[in-house]
Amino acid sequence: MEIRELQAYASFFMSIFLVVILYWYIIYLYRSEKKGDKDYEKLGNIALDDEIDSRPINTSSVTPSEKKEKDK
Amino acid sequence: MQSNAALEYDYTVAKLFTFTTILFGILGMIIGTLIAAQLAFPELNYLLGEYGTFSRLRPVHTTVVIYGFTLSGVFATFYYVSQRVLKVSMAESKFIMFMGKFHFWLYFVGALLATISLLLGYSQSKEYAQYEWPIDIVIVIIWVSWGVAMFALIGIRREKALYISMWYYIACFLGVAMLYLFNNMAVPTYFASGGLGSIMHSVSMYSGTNDALVQWWWGHNAVAFVFTVPIVAMIYYFLPKESGQAIYSYKLSLLSFWGLMFIYLWAGSHHLLWSTVPDWMQTMGSVFSVVLILPSWGSAINMLLTMKGEWNQLTENPLIKFMVLASTFYMLSTLEGPIQAIKSVNAIAHFTDWIPGHVHDGVLGWVVFMIMAGLFHMAPRMFKKEIYSKNLLEAQFWLQTTAVVLYFTSMWIAGITQGMMWRAVDEYGNLMYSFIDTVTVLHPYYAIRALSGVLYLTGFLMFAYNMIKTMTSGRELSEEPQFRSPMA
Amino acid sequence: MFHWLEKNPFFFSVGVFIVIAFAGLIEILPNFAEASRPVVGLKPYTVLELAGKEVYKKDNCIACHSQLIRPFKSETDRYGQYSLSGEYAYDRPFLWGSKRTGPDLHRVGNYRTTDWHENHMWEPTDVVPGSIMPAYKHHFTNIADIETAYAEAVTVKNVFATPYGDEFQATKEAWEAHKAVVLAEAKTITADMKNKDVKEAVAAGKIPEIVALIAYLNRLK
Repeated sequence: MEIRELQAYASFFMSIFLVVILYWYIIYLYRSEKKGDKDYEKLGNIALDDEIDSRPINTSSVTPSEKKEKDK
Repeated sequence: MQSNAALEYDYTVAKLFTFTTILFGILGMIIGTLIAAQLAFPELNYLLGEYGTFSRLRPVHTTVVIYGFTLSGVFATFYYVSQRVLKVSMAESKFIMFMGKFHFWLYFVGALLATISLLLGYSQSKEYAQYEWPIDIVIVIIWVSWGVAMFALIGIRREKALYISMWYYIACFLGVAMLYLFNNMAVPTYFASGGLGSIMHSVSMYSGTNDALVQWWWGHNAVAFVFTVPIVAMIYYFLPKESGQAIYSYKLSLLSFWGLMFIYLWAGSHHLLWSTVPDWMQTMGSVFSVVLILPSWGSAINMLLTMKGEWNQLTENPLIKFMVLASTFYMLSTLEGPIQAIKSVNAIAHFTDWIPGHVHDGVLGWVVFMIMAGLFHMAPRMFKKEIYSKNLLEAQFWLQTTAVVLYFTSMWIAGITQGMMWRAVDEYGNLMYSFIDTVTVLHPYYAIRALSGVLYLTGFLMFAYNMIKTMTSGRELSEEPQFRSPMA
Repeated sequence: MFHWLEKNPFFFSVGVFIVIAFAGLIEILPNFAEASRPVVGLKPYTVLELAGKEVYKKDNCIACHSQLIRPFKSETDRYGQYSLSGEYAYDRPFLWGSKRTGPDLHRVGNYRTTDWHENHMWEPTDVVPGSIMPAYKHHFTNIADIETAYAEAVTVKNVFATPYGDEFQATKEAWEAHKAVVLAEAKTITADMKNKDVKEAVAAGKIPEIVALIAYLNRLK
């Protein structure tokens, strides 16, 4: 196969692949927020609350024990 | 909660880079104003003998403002912002402090050497990549030391999630590293010829059309990764922090990030429309340039929406004004760029003054405004002093805004005039104007541009004065301001 | 699924790298061999011309002059045949420029002479009234670095297989032997020049920058 042909296929499939990933990413962002696994908007507060001794705003998926703590 | 209550952010390196931002800003803008004036008044070419011609000074201007002023600003804000969003102090690690200081001093010495080498005429003559190979090697070491400091700081972070600004700083580091290495591949002739000739000289690994492609892949994306990506990093931190408003949509900022990363690189070939690079590449460059509006505007609109319901701050706080105008100019130039990348428009616009016009509404309106606002925001926190004068800040804002408007309007008219005159034909199909006609007609626009340079430079000197006065004689602050920067 | 992006800087960096490198791989790499093929009959630059190209680079002529004629009637009428990729095969670096404050120079050798360049570089407004180009009088006194130009010729011959003759060797002796060739070529240029100092310098075996530059500009056809 000629390099041009190879290049065309590579470009085509890579583009499709990246588009799929991008859409998957968008869906993931909104779905995980809806399910309550994560709160991406909360990450915006990293800039606002940035004292060295302020509590890190960590978005690791909330463990049940943490959830209980929060509910208290 | 930390056990060590006395721990503080360490701004030593951020302060050092703040000084060089001011220094290189003044230097680069003085040269810029001078060469702008030379086009209107050619006698000014002879102030410094062989070293003072437009052609010799033009790369000095571009490299000093890009790699001196802008990168200093990027580093200054990086060493400030990264500590805060990672919630870790540089003072916590001797190694990181050392790397930061090493990075600064090597950068400072390297920048001076690089500038002198260009004045002396050591040049690869590739735009924005003029430095010869020994300087290139120093630059690589500087860049790597920044990367080491960056990833070491990330390594010891308390805030596990990386804030969006950090994403952009990392992208800046990676993008420039990759493009710079590829574009500056060259063979030093001294070693390849068994010790003949100058040791400074090298030949590019690529020739002709290939060299053009690699060069503009760099040239365009230097704009992406020096003038866009780290500046977006700044606005994503400083605007929310100064206004007390979290980013309007954090998810949109993430999506714009990936969009920008993916699309920006493709657009490089729009610098080579109608040249000898294959048509399909030119078309790709054109199309992706237009698509690039989406992620660019995604960030800019996100910034403007962050101010939703808080527009009163615009009248009360000059720093907000700087940042909102910066994102507006960002929108303007990211719309203007794609227009110029349309092939039929490019046929007229390319090679004319519309191109420097486009560059400058981006850099003067967006990059410099954002860096100045960032440094003004940092000053009260780094020096624990109130900003010296609000009135000066206001005056500077209007002076520089006027200057930017004068700059791009005059260059729009100049560029389109010239582009149309080059192609004008009479009723028999003969060219109507000799080349010199298309030069002399531009005199008034060049004069206006020189004037705008003087205004902008004056504004920048006001910024420098205000900063220095803040450091030396601003009112002491008892505690760090949370959001809005205090000013007298 | 994507939560590692915010938290793992290493994988994040890899992701960014793949996304930004993709465009370069697709757009630049595959065309390399083809774009570097010279047009039939293209000769590599002589050492004197290479030295002139160095002057062109040193004084950064690309700041105002392009070397790329686009395929429009208005351009081919003004400057000649539009540029072809293969014509640049020996240009390291390419010198297309990006701004025409002055006219294109890709075929300037077709319509300007040694005499014209000599007068123009000394005082542009004498030749073109209204010109805003600075005078380059220092080209008449600065001596061109021929040895470095020879080193470049040898380098591109050895590293990139540019077709230079067998006499181009990476030795001091070969360089000393080639000096006479360069000087002879310089004399063909100065034969058409008026400036006494330049003529004297060349007679004494030194080649001022202007001679090399004119040799290069005359070569652009």
